[in-house]
Amino acid sequence: MGPGFRRDDDLGSNLIITCPHCGARPVEEFTFLGDAKPQRPTSNDPSSMEQWFDYVYLRDNPKGRIDEFAHHSGGCRAWLVVTRNTETHEVHGTVTAKDYAVRAKKSGR
Amino acid sequence: MLRESPLKDVVRAGRYGADKGAPGVTLSVVHPLSLVMVIARKGKAKAAKESLTAMRGATVMWAGPDQYYVKGAEAAALKKKLGDAASIIDQSHGRVMFRISGPKSRALLAKGTPVDLHADEFPIGKSAVTQMAHVGAHLTCTGKDDFELSVFRGFSESFWEWLTEQALEFGYQVN
Repeated sequence: MGPGFRRDDDLGSNLIITCPHCGARPVEEFTFLGDAKPQRPTSNDPSSMEQWFDYVYLRDNPKGRIDEFAHHSGGCRAWLVVTRNTETHEVHGTVTAKDYAVRAKKSGR
Repeated sequence: MLRESPLKDVVRAGRYGADKGAPGVTLSVVHPLSLVMVIARKGKAKAAKESLTAMRGATVMWAGPDQYYVKGAEAAALKKKLGDAASIIDQSHGRVMFRISGPKSRALLAKGTPVDLHADEFPIGKSAVTQMAHVGAHLTCTGKDDFELSVFRGFSESFWEWLTEQALEFGYQVN
């Protein structure tokens, strides 16, 4: 075990996610889908294949903050977006996936 | 419609577990039961909520965003009342409801759920959807130390085994 390595029991058990519908719940109640940033291309035209390739296969692997889709599968079954820090496991906030999409649209992404 | 409890051969009335003093919890199966899920349709959340709030003689419990369980009203009557404001799904045969009461009811439930059950956080009338013993459970506080909890019918027997095992230390009465 090198410096900075944290044992498994230090990781999951402290992750408390505050669901906008249910309140504070442990990470065990959630199922993660992955990065919420990639936007599904709207076109099926062959010329958009590069965008599709990006959307389906390419993912950032950031050290630090990331927005991720989370399904509250053990609770209200709503889709959420959780912002967490991959380095410290700190949870910065949670919004519903719907609100996240509205916000993304407004900011013109 | 015939409603048969999946636990009719499992749940036996009596006094179990620690036998010093009064039982810490009292358990029973709520049967027969009419339980209907109501899910508001797109853009109709407010209308659905208003019609449910105006209802008499039935209990409306929160069950997720714009979703409710209605206890004590038949699905056909709800369908008529809500019209196209909501989808109505009869769960009377799909779920099994338990009633848990007594001074140790919070202590018993806290063994299975991360939900904060303190009376200030989880007052009478509040509901939560959570997992207990790996089973999806819908929990409602119905009185000072009284709760109603429903699970999928297929999980009801194993859930009952778990619940009664956890209640042994408090001593429990099955009605």
